Amino acid sequence: MALFDTRARDIRNLPGFGLTATLAVAFLYAPILFLTLYSFNAGRSISRLDGLSLRWYRAVFANEEIGRAALNSVLLAMIAASLATVMATAAALAMVRIRMRRKAGAYAVLNFPLMVPEIVTAIATLIFFSTVGLGLGFPALVIAHTTFCIPFAYLPIAARLTSMDPGLEAAAADLYARPWTRFRLITLPLLSPGVVSGWLLAFIVSLDDFIISSMLSGPGSTTLPVHIYSMLRLGITPEVNAVSSLMVAASTLVVIASGLIGRRQS
Amino acid sequence: MRALALLLMTTAPALAEGDLYIYSWGEYTPPDMVAKFEAEFGVKVHIDSYDSMETMIAKLRAGGAGYDIIVPGDATMQVLIAEGMVEKIDVFEMPNFANVDQRWREVYWDPKREYSAPWAWGSTAFAVDTGVVTGDISSLAVLFDPSDAVKGRINMLRDMNDVINMAERYLGIPRCSENPEEMKRVLELLETQKAWVKSYDSETKEILVSGEAVVSMSWNGYAMRARDEKPTIAYVYPKEGYTGWMDNLAVAKGAPNLENARAFINFAMAPENAAMITNYARYSNGIKGAEAFIEPALAAAPEITPPADAPAPEFIPTCSPAATALIDKVWTKLMN
Repeated sequence: MALFDTRARDIRNLPGFGLTATLAVAFLYAPILFLTLYSFNAGRSISRLDGLSLRWYRAVFANEEIGRAALNSVLLAMIAASLATVMATAAALAMVRIRMRRKAGAYAVLNFPLMVPEIVTAIATLIFFSTVGLGLGFPALVIAHTTFCIPFAYLPIAARLTSMDPGLEAAAADLYARPWTRFRLITLPLLSPGVVSGWLLAFIVSLDDFIISSMLSGPGSTTLPVHIYSMLRLGITPEVNAVSSLMVAASTLVVIASGLIGRRQS
Repeated sequence: MRALALLLMTTAPALAEGDLYIYSWGEYTPPDMVAKFEAEFGVKVHIDSYDSMETMIAKLRAGGAGYDIIVPGDATMQVLIAEGMVEKIDVFEMPNFANVDQRWREVYWDPKREYSAPWAWGSTAFAVDTGVVTGDISSLAVLFDPSDAVKGRINMLRDMNDVINMAERYLGIPRCSENPEEMKRVLELLETQKAWVKSYDSETKEILVSGEAVVSMSWNGYAMRARDEKPTIAYVYPKEGYTGWMDNLAVAKGAPNLENARAFINFAMAPENAAMITNYARYSNGIKGAEAFIEPALAAAPEITPPADAPAPEFIPTCSPAATALIDKVWTKLMN
């Protein structure tokens, strides 16, 4: 930890750091700021400001198609994040607490969804699900989202578990606590910041997914990103900006919450 | 895992009687039209949206997607029929087919209208800021042989087929040409023009309204929105011709609610209902008598209702692989 801090300080002292950092941040966030600014446009344009108003936000909240898509997205993200978190917790316990062979291999398999290009996962899953007769729709979306959410849930949980003192669990075992009691009363409470942080990350990754959802959504299960993309066909109005800004706001809140909870680790 | 899958199944929408699943572009299906259909037929309508024809086809191909109504464009419609991916529903025998405008009855993608009904149509031509450009604007020469006031202030769509089709019309070369000599002339014309082109960009409304371009290729819907914000913008139906597109209502093969889908298609061909499409999506429909129910400003808009002396739009089937290869070549060279 100390080593890392020193290096960070050194980087900040390098010449040109401030300028590079400012440019990088501007490059990343200026488009989002513009998007948000024009979501408050009183006119129909997305490049000329005709005064400020909330009309496009009103339009978003009055729009039934958007409402249904948003509900689908949130429901899907909650279910997928919960399933992924349960599996990731189990995986983390096995990987960190149990001595086993071929751990590197298991780790690679676990994080595989991070490496595979999303479009490949999407098409492979589409073909596989229709071959086994599961078809498209909400169940297919839940399975696919759970799969690619697992590594995101796993990372904070495993990090937390690694930094936890195994002595506490050993002490509980010494006092004849059975494995399940030990897990329930000692491990899980200590692990909970990691679990919550992992759940939130998985939730936001699922909420923002477009490619896989676009391929797997079925009747009645169009998600919000899929719907936003399909709105572009009739031309962009600030309504698209407004709904996108709302998604950015939701993502930001969740990521901040995840960060704050993760920081309680010390 | 099996138990989990079963549990999840129960949360999926039930395909009970009285449902209709529409799979279309986002914000393309008028809510008031849906509400009216639901009230009249006691059917619950569910709308899902796709982001491209390719996604829609991929899902239909995967089979058993469970959608009833789909809204393919003209070229896609031809592919879907050829591959047996749509139900033959004999639209031409439906009672409201009598309302379909004569020119939308025999179309290349569905010559007898056995599979599909008109939904909305539009065109790709160009728009001019008449506040800056004066003189005769009825010809593609405005774009390809521009006056000095226009040079450097032209925007072309960033769309390979639309740009090349337009150049072919100006040169009198047929669409989907497989003749390398002809396509070489197309490339020469476009390369000459490139010196005067400010941008190849599909956000034409913004570009015209901001004044970045005074002449721009445009879709009719975008041109109308541009005119809403800048009244000097005029959409031109060039005398050399222009491209049309039509989205159609069709029924996906194996649709779970075939009868409701038929009912919806017949319903959509009634003038007062078709007018809702135009009022909402702001594109023309193909139904006679709908004008009476369209908002007056829209009904009077030349972008929606072409003037009587405008040439008919040209609909272009998918080109042969040989022609497509040439088109790709021209476009790649032009963009380099």
